[in-house]
Order: sequence, then C-alpha cells, then structure tokens
Amino acid sequence: MLRVESINVYYGAIHALMDVSLEVGQGEIVSIIGSNGAGKSTLLRTLSGLKRARTGSIQFMDQDISETQACDIVSMGIVQSPEGRRIFTNMSVSENLQLGAYIRRDAGVGKDMEEVMQRFPRLKERIKQNAGTLSGGEQQMLAIGRALMCRPKLLLLDEPSLGLAPNLVTEIFKIILDINAEGVTVLVVEQNANRALDIAHRAYVLETGRIVLSDTGKALLTNPKVKEAYLGG
Amino acid sequence: MNWGVRAVSIVAAVGFCFLIQTVSLGFGADIQRLIALAGLYVTLAVSLNLINGITGQFSIGHAAFYMIGAYTTGYLSIQFLKNSGMPGPVWLLLMMLAGAIMASLAGLVVGLPSLRLKGDYLAIVTLGFGEIVRIIVVNSPFDVSFFGVFKFFTFPNLGGAYALDKIPAIRELWLIWLLAVVCIAVCRNLLKTAHGLAFLSVREDEVASLAMGVNVTRIKVTAFMIGSAFAGAAGALLAHYETSILPSTFAMDVSFIILTMVVLGGTGSITGSALAAITLFALPEVLRRNKEPVTGGTFLAIVIGVIAAVVLIRWFQNEYHGSKNKKTAGYFASVAASAIVAFGLTFALNAIPALHDKAFEGSKLRMVIFAGSLIIVMLIRPEGVFAHHEFSWTWLKKVLRIKPKSEALAT
Repeated sequence: MLRVESINVYYGAIHALMDVSLEVGQGEIVSIIGSNGAGKSTLLRTLSGLKRARTGSIQFMDQDISETQACDIVSMGIVQSPEGRRIFTNMSVSENLQLGAYIRRDAGVGKDMEEVMQRFPRLKERIKQNAGTLSGGEQQMLAIGRALMCRPKLLLLDEPSLGLAPNLVTEIFKIILDINAEGVTVLVVEQNANRALDIAHRAYVLETGRIVLSDTGKALLTNPKVKEAYLGG
Repeated sequence: MNWGVRAVSIVAAVGFCFLIQTVSLGFGADIQRLIALAGLYVTLAVSLNLINGITGQFSIGHAAFYMIGAYTTGYLSIQFLKNSGMPGPVWLLLMMLAGAIMASLAGLVVGLPSLRLKGDYLAIVTLGFGEIVRIIVVNSPFDVSFFGVFKFFTFPNLGGAYALDKIPAIRELWLIWLLAVVCIAVCRNLLKTAHGLAFLSVREDEVASLAMGVNVTRIKVTAFMIGSAFAGAAGALLAHYETSILPSTFAMDVSFIILTMVVLGGTGSITGSALAAITLFALPEVLRRNKEPVTGGTFLAIVIGVIAAVVLIRWFQNEYHGSKNKKTAGYFASVAASAIVAFGLTFALNAIPALHDKAFEGSKLRMVIFAGSLIIVMLIRPEGVFAHHEFSWTWLKKVLRIKPKSEALAT
C-alpha cells in the first residue's frame, strides 16, 4: 500500500532521516518506535507532505506522492493525526469533526459523524463544547475522530499516547485496534514502545534518523536489543 | 422557504440603503458626506476582518487597496467618462468593478508572499506595501525604464503629492451602503459554507488544517483577494464622492484606524467590525461639533471617574466570584458609583481657581477621548466588544425572552 524507498530528509544542514525505507501493507498496523529526536515525527510529516524529502521516493497505491501537495495527499487517503493532537481549540467539537470531512463532498458525512460519536460517546456529550475545554484524553479521541472523518485508507498517528494516563493509553490503543479491524491501515509512531509493539503486525525501530531494526511486533518485543533500549530491560 | 427568506433579506437590504439615502437628503452636505464615509468604513472594516480576523493574516496595509481602487477609477473617469456617454450610476458600478479587480490583483501580489510569512513578518510586508503604493502615486508621473537606458512606458500623472482632482462627481449614497451590505453578506455567507470553517481553521492552526486537506495557500490568497476587492470598490466610491483625492488620505494612519475597528469590534466578528466602524468613525466627528468649553476641573473629574470605573470593573471581572447576575450588577454598580464620584468631584475640583479658569474647547479633546475609549475597551474587554460572536435572530430572541422572565420573578 505504502512503499518508502531510501528517503533523505534535511532541516537545513541537519540530516534528519537517512536512507529510510519501509513498507506498509493493506490492512496492517505498523509501528515505528524510537526515542526523542530519532526522526519519527519527521517521517510522518514527510509522508503527509508537510515536509519534503530531498531524495528517495514515496509510493502510495502505486502512485508517486513524494512531490504531491499536502492537501492532495489527504484526498488520496493518507490522513495524519498530528503530534500534540493539534485540535482546533477555539472551535466546537462538532466543528472540529466537520473540518475533518473538509475534503469530502459526499452525503455520508452526517452518518460518519454518528459513527464517530458512537465510537467516542464522550465526544457526543461535549459536541457543542469548545474543543479546548476537553481533557487530554478526550482531545486525543477528538483528534483521532477528526482524522477518521476523512475516511482514510491509511491513518498516520503521531504519538497518540502522549501525555495520557495509563488507563487512557490502554483505551486509545484498543480504539486503534478497532479501527484497524474495520479495514483502515494504520501507521503509528510511538515512544511507548511496549504498547506500540503489542498491537503492531510489524514494526520498525528508528534511531537517529536510521532504521536499525525491523521485524514483526511480537518478535521485537522479545528482541534483547529492543528490550534493553526501549522496554526497560 | 429558504428562498423566501433570501428574497426578503435582499429586498430589506436594498430598502435599507434607499432609506439611508432618503434620510440623509434631509441633512446638509457635510452630514451626507459623513454618512457616506461611514458606509465606506463599514466596507473597509468588514473586508479587513475577512483577512485579519477570520483568516488570521495580520495585514496593516488595507488603505493601500482602498487607494488603488480610488486612484485607478479616478483616473479612468477623468479620461473616459465624457466620451463613454454612460449614465452616472452605471459608470460608477463599472468603476467599482474596475477598482475591485485592480485591488484584488494587488491583493494577489501581497497574498502570495504571505504563504511564507506569518504574524509580525506579514504585517511588516503589508505595511511596506501600503507605503510603496502611496510613494508611487506621490512620485507620478515618472518614466519606467531600465537604469534610464530603455524607456518602457511613462507612469500616468496621478497628481503627485497634490490632489488628483476634477474627478467627475457621481454621488450615490445608496450604492455606498449597498456595497457595505453586500460585503457583510458575502463574508457572512462565506462563513456558513464548508469553506468558511476552513478560513477559521487556517487562523487556528495551519499545520492541523493542512493535515485535514485544507489548501492553506488557496484559502489565504482567496481571503486577500476578496478583502482587497471590497476595499478597491470602496475606493472607487470615495473617488467619485470626493472628486478630489490625495495620497495622504490613504496614509498609514488610515490602515491603523481600520485595523483598530476590527480589533475593537472583536477579531473575527462581522457584526463587531461593522458596528465598531460606525462608532469609531462617528465618535471624533460628533465630538468635533462640541463647542462647549470644558474646564480643567471637569476634565480631571471625568478622568478620575473613568479610571475608578475601569479599576472597579476589572476587580469584579477578576477577583469577584459571584453568580453571573451578581457580576453584571457589580459592573453597573461600579459605573454608577464612579459617575457619582465624578459628579461630586466636578464641584470640588472646579472650586479650585487654577482648575476652573483653565478651560478647553470640547472639540479639542476629541482625540484624547478617542484614544482613551480605545484603551478602556482593551482593558476591560481585550477580545473586542463582540469577541467572536455574531448578531443573530436566535440570539436576539434569547435576550428578549430572558427579560420578561426576570421581570416576572421581580413582581
């Protein structure tokens, strides 16, 4: 579905991603784990067109998207829930969800809104409220719900567990599994390696801009190197 | 039903414009001119609100678009109106279109760099653009050449630093106000569409908007083009109303006044911008007519009263934690108490000969009062009078329904 071939991304002189290649198959959950500054968010930003790769190619559904504009990438079906949630805090919950469906012109938007409400009952209670007044967990749910309103083929999640209490993290990851079970391919970037590897079909380990390991999620969970570096021994 | 409402609104809007025209005919020429200028300022403030308030692109060069519209159409009218043989209002409509097109092309030129610039940086660019336009006019006519070697063309004479005068007078007050109404309608309807949310989302968070598939570039440029088109059309109306325009009519302070209207009314609120435009335009004009002398004692008493009111209101806002009704009562009490204190102080202070003998003419204080009222509003309501709220019939119904209820409780 998504094939990234040896992309190199720079911030000025800083070489943020070095020859990164990865693949995401239809219907998979793929996790990318790595510590702070490893280049995880840069990778997602590059995939969604917010940042350009200097060399290398990105192919989505057999189409090259490495030069495509961010707004066109969204209409192709790659939707990102950006790092730090980035919901529109001065707008109501329902306006946030409507903006999620911005690119869609079909009649199914209302029905999808209902589905998001069913998935996140707490958003339904707060539908008229300003999104900035939601708790961290609710905001994360809104960010995911908003991304779902685009009807993504591939959902990119940037640190969905960031700043959430452990029980909420469990809830969020359960939701990711549910979404995947309904046919959405998910690429998730996480620092919380344990959880991310647990739900992933396959996973990559990113270290200072390079992919150093890739395997199935289960295998990486037991990999001694990963255990030592990311899972706390 | 929906179309019925629309038809009624359109008829009401046109009727409103003719009503203003009819009413203003009862006044002298000077008041008529003020009513015309007020209408133009409504257009300017509401159109800047689209760029500044709704899309969040900090522009402080709005007078430049106004100027482009005025000078383009003034020049065209001087050159071509006589030979065209067109009736005045039709020609004026045509000129509004011409002014709008020229200004929106200029908006495109400024909008394009805005793709890369944000906040203060964009503000500086728009400020510079305003000055560039003004200086080009001041220096006209001049030859456009390549280091004086190849002469491309001569930039037409726009009167230089003096006025571009003898513009044929076409004074259609109803058209001025119709433009204001159309500007309000366009902005309001734009916000009601799916694109409207996109304009707001660009203001809120560009990255998140991009992630939702909003073409941020296009939204920004659209906002600049629509906003400046309305300013250009307003410029066309101004040129034909005044018949003589000066570069200094469009100096930086005009841009700042328009910006002040937007901020004071509530950034993003169309209602706020329109009402603030009328108020801020009318305030100095009304005060200008006040010939009554104000003694130093009275002035000092009023200043003390205002400061007391602001301090008390701020206290009720921040330190008092009662119910909403009690808070509102507190605000009224603060104003009433300060007014009583000021009234008392008037007598006390005027008893001092030094303060009593020093008197100003009321009109001379108008800019002091203007500046003072801006500071007061920003102190007690920094988000602007209307914040991001809009006038709506449901809101009016709500307000009207609460009133009888509280009356019923009182009896």
